[in-house]
Amino acid sequence: MALQSPMIVAEAVEAMEFPELANKYEVSGVPHTTINDGLGNVIGAVPEATLVREIQQALERRKATP
Amino acid sequence: MAKILDEGILKQVQEVFAELNGEVRVVFFRSKENCDYCNETQQLLEEVISLSEKLSIEVFDIADDAAVAAQYGIDKTPAFVLAAKDGDQITDFGVRFSGIPAGHEFTSLINDLLIVSRRDSGLAPQTRSYLDELTEPLLLQVFVTPT
Repeated sequence: MALQSPMIVAEAVEAMEFPELANKYEVSGVPHTTINDGLGNVIGAVPEATLVREIQQALERRKATP
Repeated sequence: MAKILDEGILKQVQEVFAELNGEVRVVFFRSKENCDYCNETQQLLEEVISLSEKLSIEVFDIADDAAVAAQYGIDKTPAFVLAAKDGDQITDFGVRFSGIPAGHEFTSLINDLLIVSRRDSGLAPQTRSYLDELTEPLLLQVFVTPT
């Protein structure tokens, strides 16, 4: 996805090496994707379309709470 | 120093790297203190990039090279960016790894090298059209473990 848009940064984070970050987003299983610092969270390896929907919802939430 | 990757894996990766197209630059950040996996990660990356002329690595220290780290938004180590290299031009697509890419993540590393080399996301048309319209920054952090 990062390749598709210059707005996107995609980071793979090794949860055991960075426990503070993993704890912050309450990561208990992997993969766990957090969108814009916790605005949205996607647990598990989901289909591409599901991830897009979660991103849309997370970004809409931000608009709703300025 | 003993190699991290064994002969079998090196051979397999080399075969996959036949598909490499554009050049990829690995921009690696390490630190002198509190970094259990910096040496191992750097060695692993060096072993991987040695398998293809299309791959190269540049090593920075997060403290000594603070300006470069800030440019890439790197705040922890070990971490690296997979960027496109076209001549002297380095293009950052926003692909990052934090922590050692071992176990399952080794496969992700190899796949991401191929994707950046292709300069194409490989996503479905609907996904592309949605992402092309994005006007605000989006940070996707995928937590993973080596096992």
